[in-house]
Amino acid sequence: MSMAMAGILIAIPASIFVLLALTWKVLPRGGDFLVVLGFLAVWLLGLGIAADFTKHFHDGVFAPNGANVFSFDWINIGDGLFHIQFSTWVDSITVTMIVVVSTVALMVAIYSTGYMHGEERYGWYFAALSLFVTAMLTLILSGNLLQLYFAWEGVGLASFLLIGFYWERQSAAEAAKKAFITTRIGDVGLLIGIVLLWRVAGTFDIQGIIHFAEEGGFDKTYLTVAMLFLFLGAVGKSAQFPLHVWLPDAMEGPTPVSALIHAATMVVAGVYLVARMMPVFDVVPTAREVVLYTGLITAVMAATMGLVSNDIKRVLAFSTVSQLGFMFVALGMGAVGVAMFHLFTHAFFKALLFLGSGSVIHATHEQTVEHLGGLRKKLPITTWTFVIGSLALAGIIPFAGFWSKDEILHTAAHSHPMVYVILAGTAILTAIYSTRVVLLTFWGEPKDHHAYEHAHESGPIMAGPLVFLSLLAISSGFVIFHSVGAALGFPGGILETIFTEEPEVFHFDPVFAATAVGMSLAGIGIGFAYWWGDASRAVRARAWAPELHALLVNRYYIDDLYQAIIDRVILGLGNIVATFERHVVNEAGVDGGSQLIGWFGMRLKFLQTGRIPNYALAMAVGVVVLAVMAFRSA
Amino acid sequence: MSTSDGYILLVLTALPFIAALLLMITPSRERTAIIAITGLSSFVMFVLSVYVFQRYDWHSSEQFQGVLAWDWLQNVGFLGEHGIQIKVGIDGIAASMVLLTGIITMAGTWVSWKVRQRTKDFFILLYIVVGGVYGTFVSLDLFFFFLMYETAVMPMYMLIAIWGSTRKEYGAMKLMMMLVAASILIFTGIFAIFTEANIGSFDLTRLYAAHYSREMQIIFFPMIALGCGTLGGMFPFHSWSPDGHASAPTAVSMVHAGVLMKVGAFAIIRLGIQILPEGAQFWGPALITVGITAALYGAVSALKQTDLKLMSGFSSVSHMGYVFMGLGTMNVIGMTGSVLQMFAHGVMTALFFLLIGAMYDQSHNRDIPNFSGLAKRMPMWAIFFVIGALASLGLPGLSGFVAELHIFVGAFRAYPIVGGLAVLTAAITATYLLRMMSQMFFGEFNTRWDMLRDVTWAERAGATVLVLSILAMGLWPSPWVQRISTTLAQTIPGVSL
Repeated sequence: MSMAMAGILIAIPASIFVLLALTWKVLPRGGDFLVVLGFLAVWLLGLGIAADFTKHFHDGVFAPNGANVFSFDWINIGDGLFHIQFSTWVDSITVTMIVVVSTVALMVAIYSTGYMHGEERYGWYFAALSLFVTAMLTLILSGNLLQLYFAWEGVGLASFLLIGFYWERQSAAEAAKKAFITTRIGDVGLLIGIVLLWRVAGTFDIQGIIHFAEEGGFDKTYLTVAMLFLFLGAVGKSAQFPLHVWLPDAMEGPTPVSALIHAATMVVAGVYLVARMMPVFDVVPTAREVVLYTGLITAVMAATMGLVSNDIKRVLAFSTVSQLGFMFVALGMGAVGVAMFHLFTHAFFKALLFLGSGSVIHATHEQTVEHLGGLRKKLPITTWTFVIGSLALAGIIPFAGFWSKDEILHTAAHSHPMVYVILAGTAILTAIYSTRVVLLTFWGEPKDHHAYEHAHESGPIMAGPLVFLSLLAISSGFVIFHSVGAALGFPGGILETIFTEEPEVFHFDPVFAATAVGMSLAGIGIGFAYWWGDASRAVRARAWAPELHALLVNRYYIDDLYQAIIDRVILGLGNIVATFERHVVNEAGVDGGSQLIGWFGMRLKFLQTGRIPNYALAMAVGVVVLAVMAFRSA
Repeated sequence: MSTSDGYILLVLTALPFIAALLLMITPSRERTAIIAITGLSSFVMFVLSVYVFQRYDWHSSEQFQGVLAWDWLQNVGFLGEHGIQIKVGIDGIAASMVLLTGIITMAGTWVSWKVRQRTKDFFILLYIVVGGVYGTFVSLDLFFFFLMYETAVMPMYMLIAIWGSTRKEYGAMKLMMMLVAASILIFTGIFAIFTEANIGSFDLTRLYAAHYSREMQIIFFPMIALGCGTLGGMFPFHSWSPDGHASAPTAVSMVHAGVLMKVGAFAIIRLGIQILPEGAQFWGPALITVGITAALYGAVSALKQTDLKLMSGFSSVSHMGYVFMGLGTMNVIGMTGSVLQMFAHGVMTALFFLLIGAMYDQSHNRDIPNFSGLAKRMPMWAIFFVIGALASLGLPGLSGFVAELHIFVGAFRAYPIVGGLAVLTAAITATYLLRMMSQMFFGEFNTRWDMLRDVTWAERAGATVLVLSILAMGLWPSPWVQRISTTLAQTIPGVSL
């Protein structure tokens, strides 16, 4: 297995996409087997690349800061002046992402063959899935910022197509539109940031820009502005405040898509981007502070919104937004390895939770938690895998989420005590809402008996990925241990090789960990106290502060505010311009001009009277005037 | 490209006129013959256009390739040696435009076979337009350049007034009046150039070599830019364009927005920037201002349009604004972007008009709020439309992005604020296109439109050709970029990279 396989990694899903997009209607089973086999190949190849990477790392041949594997010119004007070279770049961050993307993609593809069975546009779904994986792999392998932008928009397109998969539903069409336009606002920032960097550095090559920045080529203020624009792209794609509004609505898409795109891969593209550009962020600490506090605000805000949502998928969506906030906090503190570690574990347990919620929806055709309940007897596999995922999310030892969240808290406690306090509070909230969803869905009495009666576990095709991912949700955190890392071929544990070029020490402090677990347990306890049984205490709590509840249910009225801005300000501006166009440019300018000429014609026509005396008089006057002029000039 | 390829250029210009002549002697009732003539000739034009584009050699240091010249009038009156010649030849810019014309003519011909009223006359006039367009792109003689330019514009009046819809007389008259008024400015500019050069010749290569005083360039560049710009839909002289397009028949909208508006922008480069570079440098900032204003203005206007064709018309104003913005940057990247945008916008706007026509011919309704869930009834139509819209909003991998990227980068090199505004415009474009699509294509199907049928085979073929062009340029833009950027770097004195 060679590193040059990186190009093939992209080519596999790309060719499947082209084939399926053209022929899904005639292929047997819509060509889903091609996608599953293709993703399997991508997964194996991805693991091969990871193994290869660690081997080279071991030999010392392959520097931890990566290698340019494959490249060709896309555009070249003025011999290198405006030079866009498509290339693949493989380093530790890339390898982590490859493993995450290929694993979750394979699980989701297998699961989808069951979940999407019988859909009218079944084959098209798989085509769009392949498009997504193509773009996502291109994104994480990009050695060049413009190529990254190319892929960045590509994953956005695939997300748009898949959110709008049930486009007959107006809400799905609206959600797809909202997602595209909101992320597009971020993308405007990203493109501006990229061009601003190029303008001074003269290259789109990521490593070139990093070198240039490290050598102090940029003016500090200029670089801060550029990096903030770049970060705006990450904010849009990773659904951070204030551009977080699209992700909860994106749950209109099929559930496996939510697991792949809106939990494990595409939404972490922003984290990936900031991690990738971290050496440049290090040069401008102000920009890094912005990353930190954006993440912090989002983490808290999304967790509170998750507390009150009644839609099982939306709770998970809010949770994703909140967890992405955690990652940005880690990045803001400069801890790339920690952020990537949380990205890694989160991808597995959050994909698991989404697929689990999909299993519930598939069984009951219901996704409002208040209509569910008691499903643990009907759906045992779903229940217990979901519980594993929730424990990982809540941060209970030894599940995967614990290790990575503990690292974030640990980093914060040492450098930003206030941030630590807020994050710890958010971790408690996380435990509370996870418990709430589990209790309302799987415990208690069934509220909708019709849905409950028909519910049954959906067979190995869907249960298999759940079990596989739950194993990862338990174990993926262990890679942090030196012994496990060494067993997998990473010398000295994973944090010191895979996640960063500058080793970060793994801090396991029993007292600290006990505190963290204690807080999570407290959160779970609160959850039980409120939602166990008939949840009467939760109802009373709601009645106690109805305004607060309304504020959270309405997501702090941010969506309404944006809607008002679009309706009043932007469309208002459109009205003004349209009126100006109609009355000033058209009626006054063009039509007015022609009427003015017509009016002159009307007036001037009276000069042509047809009477000889009038003409003779005019002639006489003319002769006199000419004579005077001739006389004076002489 | 060798000299013998110059004969191809001549053939390309002559072929549409020959086809028009053949049609004139064909009886109107012989539909098969009409289809055969137009189908064959447009296919040959397409093939020759691709050949010309492919044969243009951007490694060569010669500015014009395939140059052929015959003297037509000389040493009489004010004309000196080589006064007026029949002279053809292309540079990288013209090569791209020739390719564009070939693509759009073929697709436009296919979808026009469904025109039932006076089919023959329609094609005669359409092919005269096409001949004029080819003639303008390949002429290296200012006299014939202007003659061909006017030949391309004039038949528009009849094409819209006879075969149009809604307010067709108004639209046709407005278009004609504004374009003729603009031609007066060009005419004046041409004679100013001729007089100032003082070589008694309309030969463009000789005119390029001549000297023009800075004052003269500063005075006359705006005349050329405004005159040609009006045909290119330059703000604030764009108002013929939405109305004209709204009333024109499908193929006329396609050829007009797809190619003829590009003739306007092309003429700014040929006559304005290449002959009067100092004037262009001086007025560059003004051109950028006009361009970015048009881009924003058109996009914001399009937000509020309910007529699909008017929305498309304002979208064109916005996209042509990018073209002027790129020209105003006066650097190779930005100007390359302009020419790329001429090509990209030509193809995608032709696609839009083709599809709007395909629906309007059945529904006789283009009011966006009247429709919903059309993708259910017309899936292929919706897919083509979505691809066009994605290209229009600048999605990477499609042609619009390549063009806009160059323009943004060029603008950022010149004035970062303008670059930022230009990128913002792309977001507004996304907004109006997605609002339209989510209203018309998605949601529950409105059964009032049960009688609609999906695109016919002819329309499907035409749309496929256009979509393939969008993809080709979007995925592999190098052939266009190399031809255009080397030409610009070679031919415009004082232009920066």
